[in-house]
Amino acid sequence: MSQNKNINLGYINLFNTHIIPVKFNYHAPQTLEEALNLLNKLKDKARVIAGGTDLIVDMKLRRKEPEHVVSLNKIRELDYITVDSLGVKIGAIVKLRKIEKEKIIRERFPALYEALKSMASIQVRNMGTMVGNICNASPAADTAPPLLIYNATLTAKSLNNERKIPIEEFFKAPGKTALKEDELVTEIFIPYPPQDSHSTFLKITRVGMDLSKVSIAVLTKFNGSIIEDIRIALGAVAPTPLRIRRAEEFLKNKPLTEENLKIVQEIVAKEIKPITDVRSTEWYRREVAKVLVKDALMKCLEEEGGR
Amino acid sequence: MSSITYLESQKDEYRILDQWLKAREYVYVGKDVKRIDALDKVTGRARYVEDFLVEGLTYARIVKSDIPHGVIEWIRPGRAVEHPDFIALVTCEDIPGLNQVGYYIPDQPALAEKKVRFHGEPVALIVSSKPDSLEELRNLVEVEIKPLKAVYDPLEALKDKVLVHEEHGSNIVLRTKVKKGDVSKALENTDYVVENVYKTGYQEHAYLEPEGALAIPMDGGMTIILPAQYPHLAQSIIARVLGYPQSKIRIIQPVIGGGFGGKDDMGPIIGAQAAIAAYKVRRPVLLVYTREDSFTSHCKRDPAYIRYKSGANRDGKLTFVDVEIIFDAGAYANRGPFTLWRATAHATGPYEVPNVDVRGILVYTNKVYQGSFRGFGNPQVQFAAERQMDELADKIGIDPLEFRLKNILRIGSRISTDQVLEDSVGVGEALVRVAEKCGWFEKRKKYGKIVDGKARGIGLACAWHGISTSRGVPDWCNAYINVSKDGSVSIYTGIVEIGQGTHTGLIQIAAEALGIPVEKINLIGGTTDAPDTGATHGSRGLSFGGVAILLAASKIREKVQKVASRIFECKPEDVEIRDGWVFEKIKPEKRISWEEAVKRCYAEGEELSATGYFFMPKGKFDEEKGQGFAYIVFSYMVSAVEVEVDLETGLTRILKVWPAICAGKIVNPKLAVTQIHGATVQGIGYTLMEEVVIEDGKIVNTNYTDYLIPTISDIPEIDEPIFVEDYFKFGPMGAKGLAEMALIPIPAAITNAIKHAVGVKPSEIPYTPEKLYRDLLRRMRE
Repeated sequence: MSQNKNINLGYINLFNTHIIPVKFNYHAPQTLEEALNLLNKLKDKARVIAGGTDLIVDMKLRRKEPEHVVSLNKIRELDYITVDSLGVKIGAIVKLRKIEKEKIIRERFPALYEALKSMASIQVRNMGTMVGNICNASPAADTAPPLLIYNATLTAKSLNNERKIPIEEFFKAPGKTALKEDELVTEIFIPYPPQDSHSTFLKITRVGMDLSKVSIAVLTKFNGSIIEDIRIALGAVAPTPLRIRRAEEFLKNKPLTEENLKIVQEIVAKEIKPITDVRSTEWYRREVAKVLVKDALMKCLEEEGGR
Repeated sequence: MSSITYLESQKDEYRILDQWLKAREYVYVGKDVKRIDALDKVTGRARYVEDFLVEGLTYARIVKSDIPHGVIEWIRPGRAVEHPDFIALVTCEDIPGLNQVGYYIPDQPALAEKKVRFHGEPVALIVSSKPDSLEELRNLVEVEIKPLKAVYDPLEALKDKVLVHEEHGSNIVLRTKVKKGDVSKALENTDYVVENVYKTGYQEHAYLEPEGALAIPMDGGMTIILPAQYPHLAQSIIARVLGYPQSKIRIIQPVIGGGFGGKDDMGPIIGAQAAIAAYKVRRPVLLVYTREDSFTSHCKRDPAYIRYKSGANRDGKLTFVDVEIIFDAGAYANRGPFTLWRATAHATGPYEVPNVDVRGILVYTNKVYQGSFRGFGNPQVQFAAERQMDELADKIGIDPLEFRLKNILRIGSRISTDQVLEDSVGVGEALVRVAEKCGWFEKRKKYGKIVDGKARGIGLACAWHGISTSRGVPDWCNAYINVSKDGSVSIYTGIVEIGQGTHTGLIQIAAEALGIPVEKINLIGGTTDAPDTGATHGSRGLSFGGVAILLAASKIREKVQKVASRIFECKPEDVEIRDGWVFEKIKPEKRISWEEAVKRCYAEGEELSATGYFFMPKGKFDEEKGQGFAYIVFSYMVSAVEVEVDLETGLTRILKVWPAICAGKIVNPKLAVTQIHGATVQGIGYTLMEEVVIEDGKIVNTNYTDYLIPTISDIPEIDEPIFVEDYFKFGPMGAKGLAEMALIPIPAAITNAIKHAVGVKPSEIPYTPEKLYRDLLRRMRE
């Protein structure tokens, strides 16, 4: 805006486009096999990148300083959503936004759809992937509770092996998963929920686009007034996203009475292990988890009534 | 207001301002002129400080104290010297002049010397040939600090068990006082009294662009490309630190990614730090604070602790206000003496109160220091004052709006300091119009009932804000305008464009006064190449910077009129200049172009350059008595807010905001709306979300994952603002300050609405869902 007669204004300072302050080798394999070979060779020296919405931030802040970054983005064989009679298969590099826009997700997996829609901003959802959200293993990962109630299964591949990991066995600790260092999650399989079941997702955040203070996904199947099938999963209230099996067992084959609801709320409050951090307090998380359990179950009940 | 001193030497200026004030109809002023910087910003051509590449550029980063209070044993580069990119480690010993960047009280070093007083205090600078290695180099530097006992709570600090500045002898930086009438006598004769303690937290400026400075040693001095808000202040502080004459320091403003007051304080400080490094390495130095550095080491809005007692009689008239304000200064006094004074003077709210006793205390603690932030000490105290008004209204059993209207300031009212308001007081009208627009009485009746676990509420709050400096503190502005031979015009002003759009408004004022299209005008702003214009703060950029430009342009206009009058053979005052044409008012068909008129001036010995110096008339304030002149004029704001509270989670959703502003003439309505929107949203964050979390003196949420500001999905509908144009005689065309206003009433307006919805009595911001939920439980138990 000012006139700077002695200063050369001809160039942009390109150094400032370097937002990652560490050096690393970047690999962009074209095939899955190439990628698995690389991982086999580099092992824990490598980090896998898809959308980069977690890894880039961590690298910028030097929380992670990998020597090698292996990008999956050129591997077209991992970019698919297939639908068959059993469920939906989603490849590792499918963007969150693409999954959210898929008709089958909206219609058959409403809890996942709600979770996807609530995540970050559209810009971030256009970058990030669901496999990435799961592999980052944040206790607050928004797609985790829905995938937990839908009993999703992950396919993990290494150069010489392939195995299926039920999502409930996948999360070990914040940032830690059951994945071995040479393994890659190539696919998430989500089986259809039972016929005539209802599922929903709710979360509480500090501001509109934020990590959850508490999140919940619930699935119910009623037989008349009796709950035949029930699944409850919560996020951001323990070191990992988790199913609340004790609450499920309690509610099974019972009607959703006010009294039963209260007992379930107490079981949930007991089962979770929230912490106090900059986002919220332990006390508030426990209180609000109870409210969310009630709200989610009531929403399912309403849908059952309206059916 | 006989106590105001008018200068004989400024008689001409008073006359010119009066002429424009009376014109009332304008060609460019009052119109939605498009921002001059819009296209560059949206196309990415705008150049921020990091975008300048100069030959031999080096890069610097601050090395910070990781101890909140301690004695520096030594600072050594350690293994950093072995790094190929290492250029230098710069400490206070490298400072050629005075190691002093204090604003009012000389208590703050550019780089810590002997002691550190807060966690994150810059103790050294590391200079590298490449930006990529800065973080690595900074971690190699060895800093040994012997910890001292630290004090974080201002109430604890008052006991002086731990001294933040031993040489000062006490943690009390200073006290302020405003006094009128006799509070204790009034208390005896008051029907209703309410007493509460209010607390407000830190607020981070959260500008998109963190602090930066590019210092270039050249021409026997130092040129600094600097995002600052007062180039001449930066110039004087940097000159002091380098031991140079002020004239050897040249400040240039790049495009700035947000200021909000923060860069008013940080500009000189980071500019001085970069200049010290450039002086040592004899090469240009680019110093940029990372986001984390910005969080830990730049000033914040002052946290406040306010004890508020006030009373009113059965007839709804306020009888007294008795307030104690404690401002947490943090480690350095910085702007604290002024934010606190502002809070003290404004503590009554915009009401006529016969008996006033306000006492302020500014206290040092071992935390990041406070600084300028939109509202400047006032949002804290208006929160207390306006919450208190609702509590009092409740106690009397009167509607809070009616209660306000019974006491609101009007022309002729005596304010807290006993100053009489002579003109430009639109707040009463604003209150009435906001209430009408938001459906006040109907909603006050209808809301406040729980439906499906949720309840709605409506609340409102007023604010007043003194414009220009307080008391007798001198305030002036200036500008330099030059007309080139081709008729194009250059304006030099010290007013800084920090994203608010002021430069566009200033050009509109010049276009109006000169009678030429805005496209012919180029504005060079935010630089010491312009005359000292004062700071771009206190909502004075457009109102006060505009006065100078109006005066300079009017002087040029008069010269062109004089030359043209000889052509048209008429009186100079009968010459009109409009849209680039010069003509006699009664014979518009016989006209010459602006360019032709300019040519004539050049040919006939008429100088076409001028300055527009203006010294704001001031009165006297008696610090002993706590009485006298406070501010030349006030802007006013009223905001009504409608909320919905979820009683089971404590979540507050803001449904709608109705703003009304009394800022005199609105120069550019579209720009005014953007400022009102921005300030309202910043106020919402301050009230409900934003919390600087400090553990053992250390700020732990140093990024936007953990420090939350409102996102687009948190922003409510903001109604078309009501403009009450209460003209100010010393503003350009009657304009007053605007940019800070809309933030100030928001904390009380929101919390008053929450109270209306669910009956809790918020006394602390940020009023997070956790706090609201806790208060709800408490209320249920009662």
